[in-house]
Amino acid sequence: MIRTYETVFITVPTLTDEEEKAVVDALTAIVTDGGGVFAANDRMGRRRLAYPIKKFEDGVYTRFLYDADGGVPKELDRRLRISDKVIRHMTISMELDWAVASKEQAVRDAAARVEAEVARAAGLLTDEAARIAGPLTDVSEAPPAGARDEDDIEFDDQN
Amino acid sequence: MGYMRDNPGGGYGSRPPSGGGGGRPSGPRTGGRKRFLFRRRKYCKFCEDKARWVDYKDLRTLQSYIPERAKILPRRISGTCATHQRQLMQAIKRARNLALIPFTSD
Repeated sequence: MIRTYETVFITVPTLTDEEEKAVVDALTAIVTDGGGVFAANDRMGRRRLAYPIKKFEDGVYTRFLYDADGGVPKELDRRLRISDKVIRHMTISMELDWAVASKEQAVRDAAARVEAEVARAAGLLTDEAARIAGPLTDVSEAPPAGARDEDDIEFDDQN
Repeated sequence: MGYMRDNPGGGYGSRPPSGGGGGRPSGPRTGGRKRFLFRRRKYCKFCEDKARWVDYKDLRTLQSYIPERAKILPRRISGTCATHQRQLMQAIKRARNLALIPFTSD
């Protein structure tokens, strides 16, 4: 039975960009090889962990949102568990209406990202426009992405 | 703190059992009512938004339900309905596992 799954995993912060990409690509391949269809493959970014895991204070979060059979998350879980570059992972099976909304959100996020990219490319001509467009697009992108930027870390400290 | 706003006069566990309550957990009860001039009625904020799920990645929402010690804010204080409190609990526990929010903090 096809279900929607969301897998979030945290990779070690010491990886270089290429190493990280290799890890993520290998995991992506597992999903696609198993017949899974991606709705989102986000790098949610580097974030300070709420508590140290394996002596790491930071971690790079990556999120997969995909439709697949039950075997795919099982295999993914197995591989994530073995990998020493992944320090924490979690897969959830999403309820239908949540899954639908998440996928719609993922499409919107992707569109917003493209738009921001275009705005940035266009903004290269005029610095002033880029300065104005930059923060605005970031703001529209921030809440759906789950709000895990620097201001959240500040929030943690207040608590 | 977020919940203080909704609960003027009575903090989370800070108030000793008052005469009217007879040692019951704090909350609006007819007995001790006169002591408070006005208490805003608590309501479920998720129901107000017609939320059908609570996202564990939505830290802005979750933060308002984890007080200083990073425990889950009880329903009797936040006023969250049973359905949403259950979903909230699930979301907080998921977020804890992913080190998005702490299990405890001091």
